[in-house]
Amino acid sequence: MSNGVHEIEDAKLLLVFGYNGADSHPIVARRIVRAKRKGAQIICVDPRRIETARIADLHLQLKNGSNLALVNSLAHVIIEEGLTDNAFIAERSHGFDELKELVKKYSPEAVADITQIHPDDIRKAARLYATSGQSMILYGMGVCQFAQAVNVVKGLANLAIMTGNFGRWGVGIGPVRGQNNVQGACDMGALPNSYPGYQNVTIPEVQAKFEKAWGVPLSNKVGVPLTHVPRYVLHEPEDKKIRAYYVFGEDPAQSDPDLNEVRESLEKLEFLVVQDIYMTRTSQYADVILPATGWNEHDGVFTCCDRGFQRIRKVINPPPDADVLTDWDIISRISTAMGYPMKYKNTEEIWNELIDLCPNFTGATYEKMEKYVNVQWPCRSKDLADKGTSFLHKDGHFANPDGKAKFSAVDWLPPTEKENQEFPLIFSTNREVGHYSARSMTGNCRLLRNLEDEPGWIQMNPALCQELGVKEGELVKVVSKRGHCVTRCLPTERVKKQAVYMTYQWWIGACNELTIAALDPISNTPEYKYCACRVEKIKNQVWAEKYVLEEYAKIRAAMGVNPKGGQTA
Amino acid sequence: MPIKEVQTTCSYCGAGCQILFKVDPDQNKILEAVPAQGRTNEGTLCLKGHYGWDYINDPQILTKRLKKPMIRQGGKGAPLVEVSWDEAVNHVASRLSEIKAKHGPDAIMCTGSARGAGNEANYIMQKFARATIGTNNVDHCARI
Repeated sequence: MSNGVHEIEDAKLLLVFGYNGADSHPIVARRIVRAKRKGAQIICVDPRRIETARIADLHLQLKNGSNLALVNSLAHVIIEEGLTDNAFIAERSHGFDELKELVKKYSPEAVADITQIHPDDIRKAARLYATSGQSMILYGMGVCQFAQAVNVVKGLANLAIMTGNFGRWGVGIGPVRGQNNVQGACDMGALPNSYPGYQNVTIPEVQAKFEKAWGVPLSNKVGVPLTHVPRYVLHEPEDKKIRAYYVFGEDPAQSDPDLNEVRESLEKLEFLVVQDIYMTRTSQYADVILPATGWNEHDGVFTCCDRGFQRIRKVINPPPDADVLTDWDIISRISTAMGYPMKYKNTEEIWNELIDLCPNFTGATYEKMEKYVNVQWPCRSKDLADKGTSFLHKDGHFANPDGKAKFSAVDWLPPTEKENQEFPLIFSTNREVGHYSARSMTGNCRLLRNLEDEPGWIQMNPALCQELGVKEGELVKVVSKRGHCVTRCLPTERVKKQAVYMTYQWWIGACNELTIAALDPISNTPEYKYCACRVEKIKNQVWAEKYVLEEYAKIRAAMGVNPKGGQTA
Repeated sequence: MPIKEVQTTCSYCGAGCQILFKVDPDQNKILEAVPAQGRTNEGTLCLKGHYGWDYINDPQILTKRLKKPMIRQGGKGAPLVEVSWDEAVNHVASRLSEIKAKHGPDAIMCTGSARGAGNEANYIMQKFARATIGTNNVDHCARI
């Protein structure tokens, strides 16, 4: 995020785009509510009537998959009505003329059919955003999980640049990141193109720096993104194939798109190592399982969504019968056995090594995290006076070599797999408020399990339910070109009749049996928010209920779960 | 022993809320999780923050806690067998070394973890991929 979460409440206008804070980040969502109480206007852009829509001044209930058409149209109106910040554009950016030319054809009337939004509402939204004086954009997976995603992010940045909404308190654009430490894993260089601290592997000086620090020659070839692994296992020529996969704290056999293909690739691997705290769908394919300490059993640092480094601390010891090690210790031992010794006493020693290699993190010492709790990078000086940085791009200085922001001019592209006669509905995935990721943690929490359990729900407009003759709670079969699953019908006016929605942590109601592995060409993120499906009524509900129970029991038995519970249950 | 209090960062979602755990050190058991003062959460928590920590006690509600290193000694399709850490570590090291020697470092892929492991473990994993194996094939679920 360019700005801190604590700044949200001071914005005068919030453009909340494809981001459902109430379900994915309840504690961030309360800042949206507080902003409203302090007088901010709220525009909610979402195909569903989410909680934010209920308190919004304007809800643009766009058609799924029309993001960039709408964003370009907002730019069209801002430019056409002369609401741009011309000084900011002239002094702090380049590429505006190209964008101005491109968005000419995106009048609100021209995109009305694509977006299903009335032109007057697009105009109203553009005026509100451009004239508040302090507008902030928050976006989420409703932007990122499309085959056209990065260019929508750039399109949202266009709006912020052309109205000068960058580099001050309470403005900017905020991708509110999903998992607790997804920002941290990126910060640490668990990315195929960058060393820790966003230092690119293809830059010779960067490579030389890390070669010197680590004492070995390093590769300057950009690595394989996670979502390309099935292709590299199954379809690449022999000399390019991936043969060994070391999966650490992830569950691709549950969380990745097109599970049929994922399973096939896991089976084909010569060697699969899974390091985790719980049995997962993926660990069933493992050749080796390495048991690690859980979040409450070790020390370290997380980075929250607005670049804040915070300590995690060991709260309890692992269970007495658990022969587990910390993740970094396991990897260090394997490295040492492979001839590259790694010896660390504790996480602080590792932290001190890495912050000295990353100029933007150098000042964020354990001492400061103890003292200030939260230190937002960039924090460059170890001096206690440097407490970090709440918002980026101060005074319009951007991270590009010339220090200026760059406009992006890109046309809208329709989603990859469109609805058709055989699969007439739009299928999209979303989040469950009480569960997390593949639910290996929350599924094992009594209270959260009691809130929601297998096989999950499919959100359907009541008119669609009526047409298909299905009622609330009834089991239905959901089918796409790639697979099918069984889940429960949840009629809700929150969704339009043309689209249905499922959350992604269920084994029986596994929505990723249906999803498509169409990827954004830059981020390589799958199009989880759009593919074509149909919903089928199941006539024999008694059979269906039995099927769900039996399948659930079968999967748990394959994982060796004691049906009576574990040692401390 | 008296009740111990430890403050940490919640492991669900990117908000980064601060939680104070009250622990019985004799029983090695968490008694309660209460909201602490963090920059973002300011003494509040959501339902996952309040109630999302008893998985650590291995209640086997959904799955079971992994407690011992395991290897499929009979090869693909064979059952997983519990082994010592030395055996597991040496097995992984020798299989990865073999694959690297035969097919090159880019035949191996590693992931980081965006969940409870923490930044230091991610730093070590990418260093392992880059310095030990010799590949930039390291990524994590930021993409998904």
